[in-house]
Amino acid sequence: MLIIKVSNLSKTYEYYKKQLGVWASVKGLFRREKLHKEAVKEINFSIEEGELVGFLGPNGAGKTTTLKMLSGILYPTSGEAKVLGYTPWKRQPEYQKQFALVMGQKNQLWWDLPAMESFILNKEIYEVSDADFKENLDELVELLDIKDILDVQVRKLSLGQRMKCELVAALLHKPKVLFLDEPTIGLDVVAQKNIRDFIKQYNQKNKTTIILTSHYMEDVKELCKRVIIIEEGKIGYDGDLARLIEKYAPYKVLKITFEGEGVKEVDIREFGEMHQFAPHSITLRVPREKAKNVARDILSSNLPVDDILIDEVDISDVVRKIFSNGN
Amino acid sequence: MKKYWHIITNEIQRQFTYRASIAAYAFGNIAELVALAVIWTIVYKNVDAIKGYSVNEMISYVVFAWFFSFLTTTYAFETNVAQDIHQGTLSNLLLKPQSYIRYMMAVATGRITIAFLIVLVQGALVFSFFRNSLIFSLDFPTIILLLCMLVATYFINLFLSIIIGFIAFWTMEINGTYYSLKVFSRFMSGTFFPIGLLPAFFMKASFFLPFVYTIYIPVQLYLGKISFAEGLRGLAMEILWLVGLYAIIKIVWRAGLRKYESVGI
Repeated sequence: MLIIKVSNLSKTYEYYKKQLGVWASVKGLFRREKLHKEAVKEINFSIEEGELVGFLGPNGAGKTTTLKMLSGILYPTSGEAKVLGYTPWKRQPEYQKQFALVMGQKNQLWWDLPAMESFILNKEIYEVSDADFKENLDELVELLDIKDILDVQVRKLSLGQRMKCELVAALLHKPKVLFLDEPTIGLDVVAQKNIRDFIKQYNQKNKTTIILTSHYMEDVKELCKRVIIIEEGKIGYDGDLARLIEKYAPYKVLKITFEGEGVKEVDIREFGEMHQFAPHSITLRVPREKAKNVARDILSSNLPVDDILIDEVDISDVVRKIFSNGN
Repeated sequence: MKKYWHIITNEIQRQFTYRASIAAYAFGNIAELVALAVIWTIVYKNVDAIKGYSVNEMISYVVFAWFFSFLTTTYAFETNVAQDIHQGTLSNLLLKPQSYIRYMMAVATGRITIAFLIVLVQGALVFSFFRNSLIFSLDFPTIILLLCMLVATYFINLFLSIIIGFIAFWTMEINGTYYSLKVFSRFMSGTFFPIGLLPAFFMKASFFLPFVYTIYIPVQLYLGKISFAEGLRGLAMEILWLVGLYAIIKIVWRAGLRKYESVGI
């Protein structure tokens, strides 16, 4: 079943140019130059029920803006979107009761009160029955192991503990669609893994449709089968994470070890682009389709080859490359 | 409705964590009254009456205007509204099946509850201090009418605060507007002195604004300077203003949301 359908969605922000200096500020009182930033440009995608899709892209690419439009916080400049059959920015309560947005850098919990107070308030706002509330809360508290911190003021919690409580607050009403914007930002590796494991389990158990944005490759590698890459407001790639490599990395990596005296750099250079060099171990980049031939050529040469390995480029490197192009 | 009740109680609990700050405000309230009382005592040294106010009436006016104004203040709720918009906290509220305007009313009400109780205690102290100068003459219907007027006053102040706060949709800063309107409204509402002391032009102009109905008319009713019927008319005017301001809130809210950029996330 199609859960999210986005068609030609665009968002343009208006802002004013401010030149340096006091005089420019005075002039600005009378005449300002209006500029437009197209944060999202006519994007299209659709997501099926139960999918866990990763949104990737450098800062300012338009990921969060897209999530905000899908949550109904922002009106788009043009285009359409349907989530669960609703237009998000109409902000109908029937829709709002079926989704949640968790923002790693913003909190919805009442800062000065124990998290439990926010949970109870959300129970009322989302009109969750007493029985469902108890059941969901017990389950989430158990999964995230936060029994001991429910009655501690939120501002006294560590970032990791707070994030767990944020997730509970967002999931108490059992949303069918979940938007996670950088849920692991700023967390240490252990806490990151805890949150990641939780998201994975939750998605599998409840068949919740999830869109996740993250800067941590580990999150995406662990969780998302499908990724959508946004660059400068446009979709650069939409498909399997595994196939991303073929598109963005048209080469493979040959790792070769040598015995005896090793080799000199000049002897190797003709075979491909040198990535790393040491007399006994080198890494070469060769075009995907030539990888086999190059390996054969090396093996049949006079070089003292001990071992040879043909490998894919690391996905993190691929994404890093995409991000650096975007910037 | 239950959700808004929870918001009020949460906000009251939150206020308790800032009790020192509330106590600090309470000191300022008193200082303001002391200043006014001193000025009028000096002015009345050489005259018996000013524009129909005897010294006791004037002291009573000042004390009750002070009391009413602090009972109904929103304690700069404008800045809360503006912060929600500027810091993007509004986003969290927009996600949920709740009315933002009702949410804000609940927060504002929870927020002032403790300060309100403190003002009541302060009022009792002030009344006992000025007991020889104050006029106490109230019948039951007038008390009820006064209470209704003060509730309406609170909501007029709150609606104005929300509207001023909404300016944050369009500008990065609302403090200037907030400050100017605050001074103007306290002046025009007769918080510092009876508006009747001003030239007739001000008096006439003031009846086209909501402020005069918020403090001046209730105090006049209290002092018995206007009739019960005139008091009722004052309440009716307050209610009319409430309806008008609510409509403005709705319009500005709708327009503002289209401008909202949900920054800071």
